[in-house]
Amino acid sequence: MRLRAARAFTRTPVVLALLAAALAASALAGLVLGPVRIPPGRVLDLVLAGPGPRAGGGAFGAIVWDVRMPRVLLGAVVGAGLAVAGTVLQALVRNPLADPFLLGASSGASAGAVLVIVFGAGFLGFAGTAALPLAAFAGSMGALVAVYAMARRGGAMTTGRLILAGVAVQYVLSALTSLVLVLSARPDQVRSVLFWTLGGLGGARWSELALPAGALLLGTGSLVALARPLDLLLAGEEGAQTLGLDTGRFRAAVFVLTSLVIGVLVAYSGAIGFVGLMVPHAARMVVGAGHRALLPVAALGGAVFLTLADLIARTAAAPEEIPVGVVTALVGGPFFLWMLRRSTRTEGVVG
Amino acid sequence: MSSYPRALLRALLPVPLLIPLAACGGSPAAQDAKATAGAAPGFPYSVTNCGVTSTYQAPPRRAVAMNQHATEILLALGLEGKTAGTAYLDDAVLPAYRPAYDKIKVLAKEYPSREVLLGANPDFVYGGYSSAFDKAQGRDREQLAKSGINSRLSVEYCTQGKVGLDQLRTEITEVARTFGVPERGERLIADEQRRIDAVTARVKDKGRPAVFVYDSGEASAFTSGGNGIGNEIVSLAGGTNVFADLQDTFGDVSWEKVIERKPEVVLIYDYGGTTVEAKKQRLLKDPALAQVPAIRNQRFVVLPLSSAVLGVRVADAVESLGARLHPDAA
Repeated sequence: MRLRAARAFTRTPVVLALLAAALAASALAGLVLGPVRIPPGRVLDLVLAGPGPRAGGGAFGAIVWDVRMPRVLLGAVVGAGLAVAGTVLQALVRNPLADPFLLGASSGASAGAVLVIVFGAGFLGFAGTAALPLAAFAGSMGALVAVYAMARRGGAMTTGRLILAGVAVQYVLSALTSLVLVLSARPDQVRSVLFWTLGGLGGARWSELALPAGALLLGTGSLVALARPLDLLLAGEEGAQTLGLDTGRFRAAVFVLTSLVIGVLVAYSGAIGFVGLMVPHAARMVVGAGHRALLPVAALGGAVFLTLADLIARTAAAPEEIPVGVVTALVGGPFFLWMLRRSTRTEGVVG
Repeated sequence: MSSYPRALLRALLPVPLLIPLAACGGSPAAQDAKATAGAAPGFPYSVTNCGVTSTYQAPPRRAVAMNQHATEILLALGLEGKTAGTAYLDDAVLPAYRPAYDKIKVLAKEYPSREVLLGANPDFVYGGYSSAFDKAQGRDREQLAKSGINSRLSVEYCTQGKVGLDQLRTEITEVARTFGVPERGERLIADEQRRIDAVTARVKDKGRPAVFVYDSGEASAFTSGGNGIGNEIVSLAGGTNVFADLQDTFGDVSWEKVIERKPEVVLIYDYGGTTVEAKKQRLLKDPALAQVPAIRNQRFVVLPLSSAVLGVRVADAVESLGARLHPDAA
């Protein structure tokens, strides 16, 4: 036990360095590759020249700086955020199948977005481009608050109640979304609603990057600071209480923090599946279950995974785009299964 | 009254009986089954449309039109008296047809369920989009035929390759022929052709600005490809569709491609839940598009989506787009 912990500890910096290099490489590939062919040398010149209007670089400059760059950055931020949120939720509800959307965040976001798309013409006009992220954020927060309220009972918040409440809320909200779609949506609205249910990074813009990035940094920072109590949670309810942790209150606090992060991410990228479920497990297989090492590794791993998945989504079937959620599952799934087979580590989250 | 007995009757009555001397029927059902004596030469008429062959013993008397362009074609041919119901407008029918349209029962705001459709007791159903004959809803043409109801789908939805004026001519000709009023179809076609020719003659020697059609889309742009009537409208009006190489009626393209192709004019299709203003803002507020000539100079043209489908508004669309693309050529 101690030996393994020690090995993981020396291993972590190496893993982090490798992941950082992979992230840089995949980000660069994300800038160079796309439906429009731009020579790599040209891309490098444009990147080094900095943002802003460039003489003669008109179209290419706009493509590299205003289309690809925000998209790569949003992919990295969302991938990292989802992986961190998934890691924490798996510890929180002590269930290996927990993912960021288990507790209703994505169905809430879809429901919020759908209501605004179909009925909120006035609101759309009033809030402009911010209307949809706002509605999606409100929807996902609403769903999480409802789950939270139902899972709490006299100050205690047990894992079983959380999961049940989450699943029930998801069903109700998905049904609501379907109802609105069937009864009153038009074809163009159905297409934009699909975006929320499948997720995607195509809408990335500079002006919308600050919020998700801030949420990610704050959230991950606080969670790394809470690494020890998170580790205690894995010891089980009674074990954690014996070691002096007020599990009910701690769980509630972490739940709120994670919800905020998830709400912000979903508001900008829709519900991209698989990342938050699988990356944490992959990271545990590499560096073990201690959150101090696990959270940074999961964050970087998620960032690399989603930037690569989005790169494939953009280029594999060009000029058509595949929804990135499809790629994460199709590419990530087999990779994860391979890891599962060769991994001897089974510790971490126990059901 | 269900249409089933009528189908049975039609099946049992030998065809020769139905022709001239059958003007003295008893029950309404028998009346329905007969051609109005001698009034419609050229029947029975067989036509194959979108892979379905229908034989008309007589012109339809209780047609149902689903979708706006199908409805407007019937009204333009003066067939409101033969139309028992309409359904699913995209916006509003042309003002000229309003009085006639208001006399016809609206079966549903969108598509009627199978029951409602059969309840209108139609002998002919005319659909503008393939979704009109949705199998999952039990409205497919095969099912309708089993109930003794003939049907037609706009040729726009079963044309391989480009849809253009030839298809419009086919559509109007065959519909007019089905109702036994071929001369009205010829008049309508001649009128459309004359108006379109006037525009194309006017813009013949002008430059052809690059046009990007923006239908909808946030993360990618849903645009008009090279196969739809929309592409033809842009060409006839003296423009060039920047995505004419997209082998589809409509398709999703990445914003990168839009930036690269430097359109000089954006043609916005207006319909559905998103306002024109919201679509303009989407384009104007995107820093990535700031250098695109059309956005920089704010050259927007708006057409209702209902005029970019195969119907009687093609000439309207060409006139209005031509005037906006070449204001100096008026």
